[in-house]
Amino acid sequence: MHGWLQWLQGPVFWAALCFAVLGLARRLGLAVAQIRGALARAGDRRVGYRAVWRGTVRWLSPAAPLGARPLFGATSALFHLGVIVAPLFLAGHIALIRDAVGLAWPALPNAAATALALAAVVAAVALVIERLASRATRSLSGFQEYALPLVVALPLVTGLLVMHPAWNPAPYEPMLLLHAATADLLLVLVPVTKLSHVALFPVTQLATELAWHFAPDAGAKVGLALGREGEPI
Amino acid sequence: MATRGKFSYYVEPRALQVADRPRKFLAAFAAVLEHGNYAVALDSYARLVARCGRCAASCQLYAVTGEDQDIPCHRSELLLRVYRRYFTTAGLLKARVSGASAFTLTDDYLDRMGEQFYRCTACRRCRVECPLGVDHGLVTHLARWLLAEIDVVPKALVAAVREQLEGAGNTSAVSVAGLKDTCEFLEEELRDTWGVEAKFPFDVEGAEYVFFPAVSDYLLEADTLMGNAAVMHVSGGSWTIGTGNFDGINYGLFYSDRMFERIIRRLIAEVRRLKGRKVLVGECGHATRSAWCIPAYAGADPPEVVNCLEYAWRMLEAGRIPLKPERIPERVTYHDPCNLARVGRITEEPREILKAICADYVEMTPNRTRNYCCGGGGGTVSLDEIRPFRTGLMGRKKAEQIRATGAQLVVAPCANCKKQLREVCEDHGLEGVKVVGLHELLLRAMDFGVAAPAAAAGAGLAAAGDSSPTG
Ligand code: SF4
Repeated sequence: MHGWLQWLQGPVFWAALCFAVLGLARRLGLAVAQIRGALARAGDRRVGYRAVWRGTVRWLSPAAPLGARPLFGATSALFHLGVIVAPLFLAGHIALIRDAVGLAWPALPNAAATALALAAVVAAVALVIERLASRATRSLSGFQEYALPLVVALPLVTGLLVMHPAWNPAPYEPMLLLHAATADLLLVLVPVTKLSHVALFPVTQLATELAWHFAPDAGAKVGLALGREGEPI
Repeated sequence: MATRGKFSYYVEPRALQVADRPRKFLAAFAAVLEHGNYAVALDSYARLVARCGRCAASCQLYAVTGEDQDIPCHRSELLLRVYRRYFTTAGLLKARVSGASAFTLTDDYLDRMGEQFYRCTACRRCRVECPLGVDHGLVTHLARWLLAEIDVVPKALVAAVREQLEGAGNTSAVSVAGLKDTCEFLEEELRDTWGVEAKFPFDVEGAEYVFFPAVSDYLLEADTLMGNAAVMHVSGGSWTIGTGNFDGINYGLFYSDRMFERIIRRLIAEVRRLKGRKVLVGECGHATRSAWCIPAYAGADPPEVVNCLEYAWRMLEAGRIPLKPERIPERVTYHDPCNLARVGRITEEPREILKAICADYVEMTPNRTRNYCCGGGGGTVSLDEIRPFRTGLMGRKKAEQIRATGAQLVVAPCANCKKQLREVCEDHGLEGVKVVGLHELLLRAMDFGVAAPAAAAGAGLAAAGDSSPTG
């Protein structure tokens, strides 16, 4: 058992982390290349960066998701908060990383991390329920939409059980193993699913803005490529 | 000759004769991705859509129909799915693995797209609601272009563009002689009714502004045009109308970038011919938004683009438009055309003008960047055959908004909006409401230093014809 754990926390973790980081970096690199290509093609290169910036950071405020669907938005904000803050500022995680690479940063009190993680787990389940409860989201959603919040919640659930043996119905070691395994799985999923918004979020608004910056001869070139340029309308 | 059949709008007969449509559609898609700037957005949308349903809450159509097909994200998915399947590695791989059960683009699917993407006015109201920046109006814009390459496009739009690019040179087939006649008549009217010697100058080389209203204004919005001429007159503006091209309409914006760029280049050519320095666009919203793209096509030293509302406000602010002491007494409200207001570009100028000339100006809510579309955006106003949809479903929110203001006059500075709102008012029993252009009101409020006959107030030459094409 211990060997497995070391394997999951060691090589597998690092492999998963590399996969996530490199995968996201690749996506981001491709996006930047596309953006540069679009800028080069655009006839009018005056981009409204101010508006793009405002449109982007607007969503980073926890109040932003309210509005059109306040309950869903609040749940989502809570979910994001817990998922990001709890694992990153957990004393146990920071200690692991310090031992491995010598980097450390201030930790949250364990009670606060527990509360945040609990909130995120509840929010994840609530997200799924709210998604199912509204006709609009139900009709839009597929497997990924329901599965992803739960997959994200798995390491949190297992982590909570590891931290609080009193809540844990199973033995400690297997639970820790499960925790490491689900965390590794999550890392692998980040770059290949829509979870990649963790890195791509900053380019989404810019992408829209650039698409409206027409390439001046795109139409004629498309017409030529399709053999329709000389055709009467 | 038109054919209805598959779509709720008329298409030309050849639309039904195109063979091998899925392959052609994909070929067009590939070419557009290669030469245009859409890939960057599509890639991000296709990967990241959150499917959070927030857009549903902002679409005025979904609010009324409650049908799944009218959720913005649902509609955009129609195109994103094709993109994922045929233009991403993951999609191609997945299709390999799942073999026959993989999603394939079919004729039926294309027909569904043809119907769905004309149920969206591309008003972009839903855009601000998307946390991931998905612009469903952009997706509609692109999807319509791709569909047009397999000839799925409303007949009314294609016929207007044909007239503009291959026929009379403008969308309403107005001849130069007809145009001059109309303007002469308007000059007389300005002199006799309003007591002002304003002129419509033609082909003046070196004029500062070359004027491009929606050409339909010459047929339908005489009062607004007289207002334009009067403003130019009292402010001493140097302007001209080019007989080579006097139509600001660009239906390319609604269905094909290929047409869009040809129409814009024609417009630029006319400005260059006249050695004009600026483009003065009439009140029309989509003409203005199209003209804002001029710098992309004009090369070095592009002409500046000014909308007549901006011009009028600048002149009024500078004290160059004398106003009568008494204000317009009716209750007035303002409809923000999406193409002027959505990105926040022209929202305050018209309001400032109206507040200066109206005694009882009220806002409709929501407004400015969050306004509701008139319901006829994206060229759908030209499709008379879908009027019940346009006014009954798409325009219902607008009707409620107008009713709530209690206004007698709705100022709609866009030719498309004007036509649509008149029909909305008609179909929703808003009998006492009159839809007017802003310059029409401004004309009433201007002081020409003579006692204009009181009867002139409210006198209108413009009677909106249902079947006439408008900008
Ligand atoms: S662009 Fe306008 S009409 Fe189209 S889906 Fe969005 S809100 Fe609805």
